[in-house]
Amino acid sequence: MNRFLALVSSIRWQDVVDILINSYILLRVYVLFQGTNAFRVLVGVTSLWIAQEVAASLGLILTSWAIRGITAAAAIIIIVVFRNEIRSVLQGRNIKTFLWGLPNRDQQTPVDAIADSVFQMAGKRIGALIVFPGNQDLGEVTHGGIPWNGQVSAEMLMSVFWPQNPVHDGAAIIEGDQITEVGVLLRLSHRQDLPSQYGTRHRAALGVVEASDALVVVVSEERGSVNVAKDRVLTPMQDKGMLSQALKQHLKMPDFSPVRQRERERLKFAAAACISFLIMAGIWFGFTRSQDTIIALNVPIEYVNRPSNYDILDTSVDEARLQLVGSGALIKSLGPGQVGVRVDLSKAAVGRNTFPITQADIVLPPGISLNKIQPATLDVTLDVPSAKDLPVQVDWIGRLPENTALTQVSVTPETVRVIGGSKTLEKVNSVYTSPTRLDTLSKSGSFTAQIVLSPPSLKLAPSCSDRITVQYRQEDINPSGKK
Amino acid sequence: MRLFALYLAFFCIPWNATLALGQQEAITQEQAPANTESVQKLCLKQAVMCERVENLSPVNPGLVFSVSSGQVCCYTSFDPVPKHTVIYHRWFRRDELSTQTRLRLYPSKWSTYSVIQLRETDKGPWRVEIIDQNGHIFDVLRFSITD
Repeated sequence: MNRFLALVSSIRWQDVVDILINSYILLRVYVLFQGTNAFRVLVGVTSLWIAQEVAASLGLILTSWAIRGITAAAAIIIIVVFRNEIRSVLQGRNIKTFLWGLPNRDQQTPVDAIADSVFQMAGKRIGALIVFPGNQDLGEVTHGGIPWNGQVSAEMLMSVFWPQNPVHDGAAIIEGDQITEVGVLLRLSHRQDLPSQYGTRHRAALGVVEASDALVVVVSEERGSVNVAKDRVLTPMQDKGMLSQALKQHLKMPDFSPVRQRERERLKFAAAACISFLIMAGIWFGFTRSQDTIIALNVPIEYVNRPSNYDILDTSVDEARLQLVGSGALIKSLGPGQVGVRVDLSKAAVGRNTFPITQADIVLPPGISLNKIQPATLDVTLDVPSAKDLPVQVDWIGRLPENTALTQVSVTPETVRVIGGSKTLEKVNSVYTSPTRLDTLSKSGSFTAQIVLSPPSLKLAPSCSDRITVQYRQEDINPSGKK
Repeated sequence: MRLFALYLAFFCIPWNATLALGQQEAITQEQAPANTESVQKLCLKQAVMCERVENLSPVNPGLVFSVSSGQVCCYTSFDPVPKHTVIYHRWFRRDELSTQTRLRLYPSKWSTYSVIQLRETDKGPWRVEIIDQNGHIFDVLRFSITD
């Protein structure tokens, strides 16, 4: 009990927001894809992944390897096989539906009105072709439709298929309570076994249901009969009740009242929300509260809040070695910028300062904790920037020719202004050129040479050039010492 | 500080004087009058780097010396020397004090020098500061040890 309370008390508000956001994302995925074949396969893939993790934890090497391969292949298969279904789910919704629309907001198809209208048309020998899409996209079996987006009513259907209407020969597509398209051309079936009385409308209806899970209602113009095409079969409808039942079955409409249906949908949505929350909470705890992995990292030390008039002259270490603990997944995903050691220099003084490296100086991503720090303390030497005029000396290398001496050397300018820490400058009394070879010199002359500052923390004043002019003269000597 | 291969030679050479053989230091026979000591000031007349000192004079003065020559000398000459005093030759290699030599000066003129023995590791830019016992710098001589 105490452990549970300690666990609960360690949860931050950010953790709660983290779980809620991801739970909502999971819920929206469920809302958008529920009822589709892709969703069912997705659940199957998730189950495979869990099975693979269990197999791996049990040490079943071959099984976990095989399941991993199947899972990877299944993920690709979902995208390839169900691309049309996924596209219709993502394309057919506006941003509101995508982000926060409730599934039970979809309008119910007025089945009874449609059935009534269909039999009225049959009685008047008005031909009609009405398509009720299922879960699959109809993009590959229909074309040439005219967007309509009108509310379904008996009168509207009658007017669409009225013989004088230019679009009456095409099919109408009904989604929810809307006639979305009219004058749609459908793919014709090529079956040879159809009875001779079936005309083009019947062939078109069968062409659609052969390639999709849609339901198509056909009203024969010649005989005034009503047929329903579904799953490659044409079924004659005897009366309105039979047609209503077929439509309700296809549209998965329950027999109970719309109010009760709405309550059931809400209950289902609430259950899905709870399950999403539990799943995400479980994943979150698995990710963040598991302390199964330890890693040691060398992290560069950052110095912050340095007083503006001080320079950092020296530090005892440049990196701290941190031993971090966390779940394997979080440890593996650690990026270079996520871990840092920041030492606050706001209270530092000129000279050597010793700072303990504490937990407060370590920046870690959520879910990762610190186990050990090396070194425990850090020395930082600060200095005040200063300037000093220093004489320039040529750094000669090589060898003079035999029996010659370099008797005169002058540099212009003789001194340069150098900027650096005052403590550093105290120890520096000369600056030198880059190494200059003696064996290439003529008897006398001049050349320019580059100034090399040491230590590298020193800089030349902006007014000083980093090149100087050297004038020299060589003279002959003899071993006895006389020129 | 150089502990090895440093050979400190602080011959003190009085002008117009006879070297007192067997002694490390020779004193001049020419003593300055007591009343002039108080007004005169110790003055560096000549300072030069050379390969060696022979017959009271620097030999092969220069600004670059080969390590193969084995040694290098800092020759200094003071005139006047109002009273008996000491000076120092401070040898620096790249701003790092390598050695310091204490040398005596005697009235009324005095020349003296210090010498270091050269090793391969001595190559690089050098300077010698000639200072009195109060830290006053008379001169700074810059030179290089090369191949």
